[in-house]
Amino acid sequence: MSEIQTETAIKVRGIKKSFVVGGREIPILHGIDFEIKKGEFVLLVGPSGCGKSTLLHIIYGLEAPTEGSVDIGGEDEWSHTKNWRANFRNDNIGFIPQQPFWIKSLTVIENIAIPAVIAGKTFHEGIGIAAKLIELVGMGEWSNHRPYDLSGGQQQRVALARSLLLDPKFVIADEPTGNLDQKAGEQLMELLQNISEQFQITILMVTHNTDQYKFGTRIIQMVDGKITSDIPNKHSLRALKEEISLVKKKSISKPIK
Amino acid sequence: MKDSKIPPKNKKHFFGKREKVKHMRMSSVLLIGYRNIAINKTRSFLTIGGVSIGIGIITFLISIGFGVQAMVIREVTKNNPTEIIDVSNENLENFVVLNKETIDKIQKFPDVRSVEINSNIGGKFINGAAQTDAILYGVTPGYLKLSNISIENISFENFSTSDGIIVTPKLATLLGFEKAQDAVGKEVEYNAVVAKEILDTTIDNSEDGQAGKKFKILGIVNDQSKSDAVYAYTMFETLKNNYHINAGQRGKILIGNIEKIDFVRSQIEQLGFVTESVIDTVTDINSFFSIVRIVLIVFGTIIMSISAMGMMNTLSVSLLQRTKEVGILKALGAKRTDIFKMFIFEAILISFSGGAIGLLGGYGVAKGLNTLINFISKRYGIPAADFVMVPNVFIVAIVTFIVVLGISTGLFPARRASKIHALEALRYE
Repeated sequence: MSEIQTETAIKVRGIKKSFVVGGREIPILHGIDFEIKKGEFVLLVGPSGCGKSTLLHIIYGLEAPTEGSVDIGGEDEWSHTKNWRANFRNDNIGFIPQQPFWIKSLTVIENIAIPAVIAGKTFHEGIGIAAKLIELVGMGEWSNHRPYDLSGGQQQRVALARSLLLDPKFVIADEPTGNLDQKAGEQLMELLQNISEQFQITILMVTHNTDQYKFGTRIIQMVDGKITSDIPNKHSLRALKEEISLVKKKSISKPIK
Repeated sequence: MKDSKIPPKNKKHFFGKREKVKHMRMSSVLLIGYRNIAINKTRSFLTIGGVSIGIGIITFLISIGFGVQAMVIREVTKNNPTEIIDVSNENLENFVVLNKETIDKIQKFPDVRSVEINSNIGGKFINGAAQTDAILYGVTPGYLKLSNISIENISFENFSTSDGIIVTPKLATLLGFEKAQDAVGKEVEYNAVVAKEILDTTIDNSEDGQAGKKFKILGIVNDQSKSDAVYAYTMFETLKNNYHINAGQRGKILIGNIEKIDFVRSQIEQLGFVTESVIDTVTDINSFFSIVRIVLIVFGTIIMSISAMGMMNTLSVSLLQRTKEVGILKALGAKRTDIFKMFIFEAILISFSGGAIGLLGGYGVAKGLNTLINFISKRYGIPAADFVMVPNVFIVAIVTFIVVLGISTGLFPARRASKIHALEALRYE
């Protein structure tokens, strides 16, 4: 794990963002700096209005920063054109929004295939890839339903499958469990964690729910557009698992006399 | 909210080289458009219905308009082919006849195939006690052929080489024959009055004068325009031999190239003749129908404006409902042009399906009406007529119109859709 963590996935440098409202400039982000290593499951937490979503949108390439840079895989995202960023998002970043919006006229599996279709593949090719992912998120039997016929939890599973379609470098999730009940939220988080571990996918996720802190390997706390704390999560399930396996290894190598 | 600054740099990738932008395939764009039409059944049905009714009414009216026009022209030109110029000497200022000299001149005009003449003399037919005034036409065989005259009891070829006459049924009855057919084979006398202008002056005509000549009735000629016409036909040669006539007052000139008709007509008119062509009538018919068409176009424009407004309304509503869809597509990497294409092709799909249904439906209804009318008229013994026609130029025009309709009504919503920002879908309400 330590070997993988040396590779930087995202580098955020001096991000500032302000909006002009009614002629007044309102600063939202006051200089954000952090790096995320490959394979990390980072939780971005903080009160409402602290700028989490704005930061996420800047990293995702939708909202231009007033200052600063976002480096993903060696590319300074904001030094390129809009179309370049669109291609880049499509190729490298998986996205799970709070409300999973769908193309109403398409089926679940066709919706999962959409990123491939946007990339210039046919629906047939996209569905070929989507078929594997829909099984991975346990929604295989719902392939030919309309997405809005599904429950919130099921929709978010489908959104997860859609975000993974083009084998992204990392996944951005903006409060994906925000509209889900406790149980559905927990199930989605477990799924997300399993996939992150299994495929070494870097995840950056915004959450409000303190119960979900256990899933993150690192927690970045934001207040009023600033990072107030950025610490590895010693109590994460992954850390716990690693500790257990370490103890097991030790107990095997040094039997109790 | 508005960004306080434009993105720091917005340069082209790879030192100014055009970056490769991935776009959605046309098949995918069309599939999404089609699915969107298919899922909103009622709305699509009403919109496509509106377009198809509009196009259908136009097609129906136009196909009948063109069809009736074609039918009228067909009827008019049936016995008067367009490549024939009718020549007469009815010009009062200038008395000219079709004699050897003028015929030679006319034959030298470009594209003149043949000059056929008709000479007529007035006189009295006598059959025993019965007698009547009637014109005797002396025609060349070619004139008879070009006139499309229907003859009974004798073949065209036999009559062409004969020295007898053919008479109208009315003339036969006036000459005392109970039935027209009874006159066939009988001999009648004709006392002619010949205008001196058409006499052969090289021959001494003093003996001939008004003396009666005997002619054998060989057949009956049916006048298609007038059932009670009173006249008789003989060959020009017969008239020439009996009355020393060497010129015709009327003629039919067959030309090889219809495009030269105006030129040839003007040349003939310069000789002092009056010319007529069925083309004159056709031109009158066409100008009448072009007025009809203008009225139809005005109606069609009103109908189509209503359809277009309905379509634009549908597309605008569809856009409002799909703001979030567009947002998520853009968030996932779709470009402005992809979104633009999605909306414009949806509009074209709507107008195209509406147009196709309308075109076929309008034509189908017109054809059905034609069949029904023919069915009824047949029962009353009226011959069937085809009065429905869709000219190719109309099909081309309507297809162009459909595409233009799709593009013009789709353009505004498509442009608006393509400008929707991804964040509009992702900012929570």
